[in-house]
Amino acid sequence: MVATSAAKRSTRNHMATAEHEIPDLPPLTLAEANDDITRPIEAPPWRFWLLLSICGLGIAAAGFAWITQIREGIGVTGINNPVSWGVYIVTFVFWVGIAHSGTLISAVLYLVRSGWRTTINRTAEAMTIFAVMTAGLFPLIHLGRVWYFYYLIPYPSARLIWPNFKSPLVWDMFAIGTYFTISLVFWYLGLIPDLAVLRDKFTGVRKKVYGMLALGWQGSVRDWAHYRRLYLYLAGIATPLVLSVHSVVSWDFAMGIVPGWHSTIFAPYFVAGAIFSGVAMVITLLIPLRWAFGLERYITKYNFDNMAKLLLLTSLIVGYAYAMEYILAWWSADPVEIESFRWRATGFYAGPFWIMVFCNVIVPMSLWFKRTRNSLAALFVISIFVNIGMWYERFVIIVTSIAHEYEPGGWGVYTPSWVELTIMIGSFFWFFFWFLLFSKTLPTISIAEVKEHLAHQQEHGQ
Amino acid sequence: MNNGDTEQNGTAPASDTSRRHFLKVLGVAGAGAATVSCGPPDMGDKLIPYLVPPNDIVPGTNVTYATVLTGAGPEPLGVHAWVRDGRVIKLEGNPDYPNRGALSALAHSTLQDLYDPDRIPTPREKTNGGWSDADWDAAIKAAAATIGSGPTLLITPPVTGTAATLYAAWADAVGADWVAWEPLGHEAMRASNDIGFGRSELPQYDLAAADHVVSFGADFMATWLAPVELAGGFARARSLEDGHPAKMTFVGPRLSLTGMNADQWLPARAGSEVAVASEVAVALAVAHEVARRKGGGQAARVQAMLAPFTPEAAAESSGVDVAKIRTLGEEIAAARAPVALPPDVSGQGVYATEVHLAVGLLNYVSGAIGNTVRFQGGPRRGQSASYAEIRAVAARMREGDYRTVVTAGVNPAYALPEASGFASALNDVENHVSLNPHLDETAAKAGWLLPSHHELESWGDVEIKAGEFGIVQPAMQPVFNTRQREDILLQIAVQLGSDLGATDYKTYLQNAWRAEAGSNFDAWWHGALSDGAVVTSGSDQSEAAPPLTAAAANYTFTLPSATDGLSLILYPTAQFFDGRGANRSWMQELPDAVTKAVWNSWVEIHPETAGPLGIETGDVVRVTTPSGSIEAPAFVYRGIRPDAIAIPLGQGHTEYGRIAAGQGVNALQLLDGTADPRSGALAYAGAAAQLETVGGRGGLAIMQGSDSDLDRSIAELINVDAAMEAAQAHHVDLTELVEAAWDSDPKSPYRWGMTIDLNACNGCGACVTACYSENNIPAVGEDLCAQGREMSWMQIMRYFEETEDGEFQTVHVPVLCQQCGDAPCEPVCPVFAAYHTGEGLNAQVYNRCVGTRYCANNCPYKVRRFNWYTYEDAYPLNLQLNPDVTVRSTGVMEKCTFCVQRINRAKIDAKSDGRPVADGEMVTACMQSCPTQAIHFGNLKDPASTVSRIAKGPRGYGMLGELNTRPAITYLKSVTYAHVAEGGHGGDLGGEAEH
Repeated sequence: MVATSAAKRSTRNHMATAEHEIPDLPPLTLAEANDDITRPIEAPPWRFWLLLSICGLGIAAAGFAWITQIREGIGVTGINNPVSWGVYIVTFVFWVGIAHSGTLISAVLYLVRSGWRTTINRTAEAMTIFAVMTAGLFPLIHLGRVWYFYYLIPYPSARLIWPNFKSPLVWDMFAIGTYFTISLVFWYLGLIPDLAVLRDKFTGVRKKVYGMLALGWQGSVRDWAHYRRLYLYLAGIATPLVLSVHSVVSWDFAMGIVPGWHSTIFAPYFVAGAIFSGVAMVITLLIPLRWAFGLERYITKYNFDNMAKLLLLTSLIVGYAYAMEYILAWWSADPVEIESFRWRATGFYAGPFWIMVFCNVIVPMSLWFKRTRNSLAALFVISIFVNIGMWYERFVIIVTSIAHEYEPGGWGVYTPSWVELTIMIGSFFWFFFWFLLFSKTLPTISIAEVKEHLAHQQEHGQ
Repeated sequence: MNNGDTEQNGTAPASDTSRRHFLKVLGVAGAGAATVSCGPPDMGDKLIPYLVPPNDIVPGTNVTYATVLTGAGPEPLGVHAWVRDGRVIKLEGNPDYPNRGALSALAHSTLQDLYDPDRIPTPREKTNGGWSDADWDAAIKAAAATIGSGPTLLITPPVTGTAATLYAAWADAVGADWVAWEPLGHEAMRASNDIGFGRSELPQYDLAAADHVVSFGADFMATWLAPVELAGGFARARSLEDGHPAKMTFVGPRLSLTGMNADQWLPARAGSEVAVASEVAVALAVAHEVARRKGGGQAARVQAMLAPFTPEAAAESSGVDVAKIRTLGEEIAAARAPVALPPDVSGQGVYATEVHLAVGLLNYVSGAIGNTVRFQGGPRRGQSASYAEIRAVAARMREGDYRTVVTAGVNPAYALPEASGFASALNDVENHVSLNPHLDETAAKAGWLLPSHHELESWGDVEIKAGEFGIVQPAMQPVFNTRQREDILLQIAVQLGSDLGATDYKTYLQNAWRAEAGSNFDAWWHGALSDGAVVTSGSDQSEAAPPLTAAAANYTFTLPSATDGLSLILYPTAQFFDGRGANRSWMQELPDAVTKAVWNSWVEIHPETAGPLGIETGDVVRVTTPSGSIEAPAFVYRGIRPDAIAIPLGQGHTEYGRIAAGQGVNALQLLDGTADPRSGALAYAGAAAQLETVGGRGGLAIMQGSDSDLDRSIAELINVDAAMEAAQAHHVDLTELVEAAWDSDPKSPYRWGMTIDLNACNGCGACVTACYSENNIPAVGEDLCAQGREMSWMQIMRYFEETEDGEFQTVHVPVLCQQCGDAPCEPVCPVFAAYHTGEGLNAQVYNRCVGTRYCANNCPYKVRRFNWYTYEDAYPLNLQLNPDVTVRSTGVMEKCTFCVQRINRAKIDAKSDGRPVADGEMVTACMQSCPTQAIHFGNLKDPASTVSRIAKGPRGYGMLGELNTRPAITYLKSVTYAHVAEGGHGGDLGGEAEH
């Protein structure tokens, strides 16, 4: 059993390195941990159904708006000449950005053995999946003729024409498709041992469903060895995607010749922004979740402190990028570029620009103080600010740039219509709908990893 | 050959029997509808192939008929009507006419008038609270009965040729009075020419021969006298090809479309009084100069006439710097062939005749009379009642002198101010029969509607110049159950028992020409129809340069003093003219040349006047005169004097159709209806007006973002001296040919390209509407325009450039798809809907487009247009659609294709002849229509082609060339006599590296 011992060794190595990082959990039995984490799954209270219904209504409203748009034409939006990309693309980029920190937390922190991820990675990964699911809708909603969306898919068809691989939109489709696939597989793999726990816990239909999803997991050493190996590989595969997805999304803009888009800093700028917004969203989700499910013993201030630090770091990067865009515009000595950036801060869209700066650069500066980082209320508020600020960042980048391009006679402005705003708000309901379902059907914390940790603690007599 | 039918033009061989057969087949449904009189014929919804195809109808090929449009603006325009499957789909100018193959925007929109769903489809009688359909026999009988029952008045537009004979004969036969009248007439010009030269005709202004054109407020590129012909003439004078370009000076309170194209502006005060002063002052200055330099009795004589004036007094009165008046005088005196143009109606006040006379004197002393202003061979326009005369007619109507009024093709109830009393007098008349094709303000007051044909459905002739006639022939079967106006009159005469020699107008017309035709009438007639024109032996033998009359020599001019407060200017626009363009969506959606606004009325206010009142463009303001008040959005415009405000005419219809009704305001309400006592012309200018803010935004939809190109190599303007120097020093760079080859498939013999000479382009918008007509571009309405969703493939940007003397110059830049060699739109399309063809075009494949709109974002010229909705034309407007061009639907991107359907047609023609496409064979719709020939199109791979030669000229530049998009359009820099300010958003030769 060479493989098994190798697996054991690797597990031990992992445990040993993780030891220093993991926050102390209270002395719980493994059964207690099992019960704590799976308790929310057992009996959803009426509040859950209420929230789920509200989300359903929000989705229905957005669906109605979309149907209206398909029936009437894309003219029901506010977009026009020259601003032919509006709230849909803004919201698309926003959700792709949200999707980022999930993989960062689960894969990158796993590889670098940052133990504080243990209790939050499941939620972060779920958030990633649902955010990509949400984001993926927007390019479709945005299409003038959504019924021909399959023209973008490269498959041998009677049309005998392939998509244009020069187009960043095609790259986008691949980047996001890949990211979604890998994230889903990675998430599902991490869920397998926990699904087995649920299988063992429940009876009846649920047992069957969880049993099927658990893929016959027995918890044998052999299972664990394969699981560990695959998890490591997938973490390795997922890690570059953290960089690639948002780089590719940024190229939707950077590959254009639009002043305000056509910039080499866009890829790192967008990646930093994505992590920034993603971490903020994790905080926004975890604080209520921890309270609602009584998971204070698992998700501790230590987790939040670390996330807050990550938020601060990325805020600084984002702030640096904002400043750098202006410096580059000035340095380029290109009057078109300079005018574009002058107008961005002082023109019709000065409001969104300064909201963006306030939310993304100024508000997060309070995180330098440990007191702020340790106050969940403050963190929650800051994370909301960052969410809003990052939506506006995409709005500012996309809309202000194309509104004020090369041909001054063609300048114009854009205001979103009710259809766009309904669909944008509906996307949040859609996201939360899936997240709520997740929170009541799957363990929001990785039971296996917590138990591993507890076992480790007990082994060492803590 | 059947001599009773219409004749195709030129190349297409005629075979009348089969064409007639074809029209019969096509019109079966229509004929059925005609007999039962139940609305427009339904001929659009069935596709029935021919069992036996007619000989000369080749599917996919146009049949061309030569005819004349008399109702499309102030001048008759020779056209070739392109007919496809029995429907006119496009109008092209006839090169044998004074319009030289060009057309105005208004002329193109005549097609929308032809297919207007708001035309009266069938005779109707007013019954209690509504209209009931009638059949033609009953209608004619009823009309004849009323006409026969008492004194009758017939009001028609001014006509020439056989129609004039018929109307007079008809009036005689039925015992009626005939009055011909048009709203924007030339009363003052006729009156002043009569005083000055004893000739009440309109002279021929030969702008092509001029070297200095001084327009005293004449908007000759848009609405005055003969805009297509005059704009073309001026463009030839302005050309740098053969020598120094002509200079233009504009004198007047407001820069019109023409004024924007002038090299210098002498902003004389509004209102005729002061205008007279400035004009006379100029004349005086010239007289001094001529007297001093050349001597001669003429100048001395004029000088004596104008003795009360000094340049200082004139300057005081007109508000123009005295030095500028003197300089202008010197320039005119030094000019080889100067010409001065009198004001159009926007400068027509109570001293209109004096202004015209002063300008006439100026032309006289400068030697222009007989040279650039010729009474011989001048344009023939039908005699028209003056405003004072039509007011007198209204008085007679009120007094009950007429029992019946017949209005035929005129809309006085709209186009006369309320103060004239015409509209109310019309209510007092017992019977009113209207032959108007639309239910306009006048027809709405009628008891019987006998709708007449559109010109494109009619027979007729028109005198263009002395001895030169155009023949009007129907280009298609009638769209509705209407009859020709002259036929209706003849049939009424028959009912009343009068014999006018024929019972239908075609026979009447042919009879009129029989004497001219000689022995073989049929052959002669077919030839005339095919050419669309006839030259008779009788030509104008009159004196080209009549001497000043004694009356003129004794004429006493008065020096009007300046008035306080704001003076009101009302002006016609190229798109609406006297209001007739208002029910055509192409005209409503054609951005005004000055304001770039669509679908509305506005009030032009100088920034210095607007500022203290806190008025910004789009704010609603109220303009009040003693006669009335209107509310409209403001347009803050630096091209108007601070003491004047200007409002366009032609909008504010209460009837006329779904598009016109309720759009904008009718500013005629502001006039008190006074007339110039000498000519009887209505005083459109000079009323004292109050301006106040109302609050609220009027939502003026302006189709241009910024008035400045920010010095971005979009609108380039250079001084004339620099341009002339560069033209001499220029060497052709042969590498361009290689580069052109790189932009298309090396195996293709073609790389299509275009040149647009901004020095010729005056911003009239004819190309824009030609493009709408050719390419099935929908008009989307005011709300969508305000949202930035206009569909025009071609937009004329109007950029202001600063000059060294603190003034500004205007450059009009037609912006359309540049068909870039290295197009930013192409690589970003995920589905290859935007791709590069072998001939260098940026093609757009509509049925591949999924509507990501990435291409539009990435287009630096912002010329791509997205179909936000599916736009559908109401029947029968859809009959105008060009079958060669796909009608686009929602969610699809579109843009200029360089009229790819015409390119393909030219290539097919060439291929069947086994030769390459010849230079000049392929003409885009915009190029064809351009009155100034600013646009040229051709093959850039052929170094000998016109377009290659022009593109390689010294003034050529690529728009936003530094982006290296390698546009196929080369713009030629606009040239001005002004000195362009350093960094004043103008370019200078030599410093740039576009090529």
